[in-house]
Amino acid sequence: MFGEDDLIRIHKARGVQVANIILLCFSVVFIRLWYLQIFKGELYHKFSLQNRLRKEIIRAPRGMIFDRTGELLVDNIPRFDAILTRQFLSDKEKTLNRLSDILSMDTAKIKKIIKKKSFQAKYRPIIIKKNISLKEVARIETENAFLPGVSVDTFISREYVDKEIGAHLLGYISEISQTQLPKYRKRDKIDYKLGDFIGQFGIEEQMDKSIRGKNGFEYVEVDALGRKKKFINTDDLFQGEKNVKPTPGDNLKLTIDRDMQLAGFNALKEKTGSVVAIDIASGQILTMVSTPAFDPSQFSRGLTTEYWNSLINNEENPLRDRNIQEHFSPGSTFKPFTAIAALEEGLIDPNTKIRCHGSFKFGRRVYRSWKKYGTEKVNVVDALMQSCNIFFYKVATELDIDILAKYANMFGFGERTGIKLPREVSGLIPTKQWKVKRNGEPWQQGETLSCSIGQSYVLVSTLQLANAFAAIASKGKLYKPYVVKEIVDNSGNVLKENKPELIREIQLKEKTWDAVRKGLYKVVNAPKGTGWWRRGSGNQMAGKSGTSQVIRARTAEQLYSKCADMEYKYRHHGVFVAFAPYDNPKIAVAALVEHGCGGSSAAAPVVEKVVSTYMKKYLPDEQKEFAKTEKQQFLKFIRKRNAARKKQEEARVESNDN
Amino acid sequence: MLLEKNKKRLELNQTIINFLKRYDYSFLVSMLVIFTIGILNLYSATHAHTSVHMQGLYKSQLLWFGIANITAFIVSLFPPKSLFRFSYWIYAVNVFLLILVLVMGQKGMGAQRWLVIGGFRLQPSELMKISLALALARYYSKNSPEKELYLKDLIMPFLITIIPTVLIVLQPDLGTGLLLVLIFLVVSFFKRLRWKSIGIIAVIGIVSGLLMYNFGLKEYQRKRILTFIDPQADAKGSGYNAIQSQIAIGSGRFMGKGFKNSSQASLNYLPENHTDFVFSIFNEEHGLFGSIVLIALYIILMMRFIWLSGSVLRFYEAVLAIGVMSIFFWHTFINMCMVMGLMPIVGLPLPLMSYGGSSLLTFGICIGIATSLSNSRNLF
Repeated sequence: MFGEDDLIRIHKARGVQVANIILLCFSVVFIRLWYLQIFKGELYHKFSLQNRLRKEIIRAPRGMIFDRTGELLVDNIPRFDAILTRQFLSDKEKTLNRLSDILSMDTAKIKKIIKKKSFQAKYRPIIIKKNISLKEVARIETENAFLPGVSVDTFISREYVDKEIGAHLLGYISEISQTQLPKYRKRDKIDYKLGDFIGQFGIEEQMDKSIRGKNGFEYVEVDALGRKKKFINTDDLFQGEKNVKPTPGDNLKLTIDRDMQLAGFNALKEKTGSVVAIDIASGQILTMVSTPAFDPSQFSRGLTTEYWNSLINNEENPLRDRNIQEHFSPGSTFKPFTAIAALEEGLIDPNTKIRCHGSFKFGRRVYRSWKKYGTEKVNVVDALMQSCNIFFYKVATELDIDILAKYANMFGFGERTGIKLPREVSGLIPTKQWKVKRNGEPWQQGETLSCSIGQSYVLVSTLQLANAFAAIASKGKLYKPYVVKEIVDNSGNVLKENKPELIREIQLKEKTWDAVRKGLYKVVNAPKGTGWWRRGSGNQMAGKSGTSQVIRARTAEQLYSKCADMEYKYRHHGVFVAFAPYDNPKIAVAALVEHGCGGSSAAAPVVEKVVSTYMKKYLPDEQKEFAKTEKQQFLKFIRKRNAARKKQEEARVESNDN
Repeated sequence: MLLEKNKKRLELNQTIINFLKRYDYSFLVSMLVIFTIGILNLYSATHAHTSVHMQGLYKSQLLWFGIANITAFIVSLFPPKSLFRFSYWIYAVNVFLLILVLVMGQKGMGAQRWLVIGGFRLQPSELMKISLALALARYYSKNSPEKELYLKDLIMPFLITIIPTVLIVLQPDLGTGLLLVLIFLVVSFFKRLRWKSIGIIAVIGIVSGLLMYNFGLKEYQRKRILTFIDPQADAKGSGYNAIQSQIAIGSGRFMGKGFKNSSQASLNYLPENHTDFVFSIFNEEHGLFGSIVLIALYIILMMRFIWLSGSVLRFYEAVLAIGVMSIFFWHTFINMCMVMGLMPIVGLPLPLMSYGGSSLLTFGICIGIATSLSNSRNLF
């Protein structure tokens, strides 16, 4: 029998062999080290000191964006930066002087830029001047023997052809931030790196995945002066690693019309507001403009601090899309929906007439019409035409808020339209339950009165208004609005075509549709209508104006005081929504002009400009025809008015004679 | 009465003094020496890094070293007898933990490796290396220990090895799985596996491996296997890392560029320069001369293990010493080969040099076991 001692003794030989094998293994390590460090040491040493091997990422060009007719909206253009690597400078003074001459910059300024970046890691180039001209590029390249450490960095810049026009819709791209990095890596399963550009707003953000493409990479050799050279013989160094070409992103064809976009922007210039136009038969967005805007090209070039500060310090907040990211009280533009609720629920019929005088007392509060002195008795059509508050107040005394909410929701209010753009707001349509939940207080019928004319808690967005009016125009077809028509690859193949998506079909009585549509028609086309003087020519619009109160008028004096006399920030917002042409509706347009006072005075011209641009481009024959009949109608009206005036004049003269 | 008490206290003091006098410090000292080189190297590799987090890594490494040292000391107080008694238990619990990892483990970087127990993150595959050494030592020391090993004698120990190996490969962590098989081979070799059997295993292994690689797999699958071995290593960049690593090593020449002078590290050309590629940085800064010193230290440590296996009192302890040594050896050897471009990059750390708490802890336990074995010769 073996004892423990014997066991250990007979295994000692194997222990020695294990030791030998270990020594053998480490001698292999030693030989390899000797080969790398002594035999090839000089070569590698040279490599690490002078020739720096870098894996350079080649950014994939982002897809381009076109409008519905194929006009270019967003392009990629090569840009150049002058860069400098401190560690490669040999004679600092001489180089900087020459550089300052080329770039026409002060040497002191260049030094300041370099000093600012002195904490940066070694060998990382510093950008001296962004976006240099081709002439400057040529000089740097030809004189590079005298400019050790200086070189030109080429990159593709995202250029937005129309600059500020439609900036919110198109969005912008900028470098991924430290906080976004882990989030987006997880979300998109793409290994983003700091310095990568991603879409941060609008379509650029929403469609980032399809238009970003796929980056490639190549191995480059960077010499001691910071100049790049392609490797001549890569095989023995790269062990089969190959360079990979980038895959460009897919292009987008939008539903947007560039001309209408331009018209909308020009109409809103110098104002704060938004305008959106929708194709009624499909939900395609034709125009989407918000002002004040920003220049998205600035973001892709690396924003200057001044520009950024000017954006974030602007009280009007240019970085917000007022079409979908902001909601407001719709004012009188909400009345058609109150009318629909009342007509459908049988509270009134199209012939019910109500006196429309200056004020009306409900409970302890006095409700006032926007006209101080009341007019005659009106039916629902004329109430819409004249925007008579009292009519709707009286109807609202019997209307349940939940019923009103039901109809408003039907038309898409109080919920996101589902347009595929980031950060859309839902607006608000109050219900009894909502108020109890929010305030812990029961609903007051008086609040229904305010809601019936689009004030109080009711909040909508421009897009919701336009879409709801589109549904009125098409007698009930509510579509999901969309902006991307097609995704097209680089050889022109259509990868995906977005089709219209019906949200719901609203079923109402035929006479309800007729009454409301007729009322809207008269708003613009009857001389007593609130939009009569803004009807333009040849548009055959049907619409509704609205005034959104910024502060609640407490006294009659406040209500009737002239809006233009008030401080800017207390002025009302003007809203106007319309569809056109009335006989065969094609588009619905909504516009908001913040602090623009009246709906018809401020916002209606914006709508009119967009509609007439559409008519001119797509329905030129109809436009001419409409213009002709309108002219006849107008002449008839003038004649009639002149006759009436003449009569009055005569009567006065007669009485004076007496 | 009082005298009695004093006498007892005196005896106790004497025991402690005796204990400390006879305690084998050699393993702990070698650990400290290699670690000291490691921490200086880590500091040099990360001090110029762009991220502040990386710059402070050496501090947390120091903290982990403290924990590893305390663990090593505590483990060294367990007599080998108790290690023997609990070998299979430790093994069984560890296998159970591996199953648990697959069922409810925490995912990270494409693999499921961690268990979270009361806020602690446990990586059972790390401990499995030691558990396997314990289990194999017990098996071999109890089943006809005097005989040479035939192929059929390998069946049981192979099962012991392959169960945790499969569980770890499923995580997936092929590197650690491979390591378990390598430990098994070393221990079996020590337990007098016949040369003929070794030859057969080697032939079967090489032939089937070559056949698989050349005919059984397509080009993209071959590449995928390399990626599969360690999903953490960037597939696209792995070739790039290897080149940069070789440039770093080669550029060190004989004397190196000097402490804190690694250009490859400060340029961040080597992405994992604080974990897998510490040896490259060390070579760039200290050259062939530095490497010879470092490798000599590793060899001294391993030779001490082997010497220990010949001087312990029980056969179980000898096998265990070899098993634990093989953990050290394979990590060191594979890591060095990998950064020198002799092996694909599998993501195994260099013992006591690479950054990482759990690997430090594992090596601390190894050192503790070795000390315990050594102490038992003249303490208990």
